Amino acid sequence: MDEQANLTAAGGNAPLGVPEANSEQGMSRETRAWIFGIAGWIVPGLGHALQRMWGRALVVFLTVGVLAGAGASMKGNVFTRDGSDAFDTLGYAADLGTGSFYMMAKSMEPEGSDVSHAGGDYGTRLLATAGVLNLLAALHAFEAARGRKA
Amino acid sequence: MSGWPSLQLTHFQAFLLFAVVISVAFGFLGRRRPKDRIKYILWSLFLFLVVGIGIGWAMFPFSR
Repeated sequence: MDEQANLTAAGGNAPLGVPEANSEQGMSRETRAWIFGIAGWIVPGLGHALQRMWGRALVVFLTVGVLAGAGASMKGNVFTRDGSDAFDTLGYAADLGTGSFYMMAKSMEPEGSDVSHAGGDYGTRLLATAGVLNLLAALHAFEAARGRKA
Repeated sequence: MSGWPSLQLTHFQAFLLFAVVISVAFGFLGRRRPKDRIKYILWSLFLFLVVGIGIGWAMFPFSR
């Protein structure tokens, strides 16, 4: 099904640009948008899948998964909340952006990271990229659900 | 789960992985029509490679 058509049909929403106070479930468009956005953050691609944007959902899931998986396999640093400086905190915020994949990345590194080599350093960047990309995708799902052009 | 394989990539392979994955994601999120997506992905990938390799060469004189 064409994703462009899905924008107007997503969850029974009204066409783009048409104000809609309540959907058929009695939930406001704003509330649905928040639900889709948060769902997309927790499970990469879910925010788009709930709006029947299957292509985007699959690509977001795969790209975030590949980046997070590759980053963890390269023994990149998966930051924790016990960071010692601002960069650690920023890294933690970026890593948290991967949602549930954060736990997957943690479980892939039972012996911790190894950033003494360039590979581990690249892995750290790939993990952070996965998180930021997923946040971007979740924001995209949120805006699409609000009826913005997406 | 200690059975996960360790991935060893060269600098260029890691750079290429990043460029390809991000280009695909940007293409699908930024464009709707398949033809537009393909054009965007290829153009984005080309720019990633050109800019990345260009910056690499620009830094070469200061590398040692």
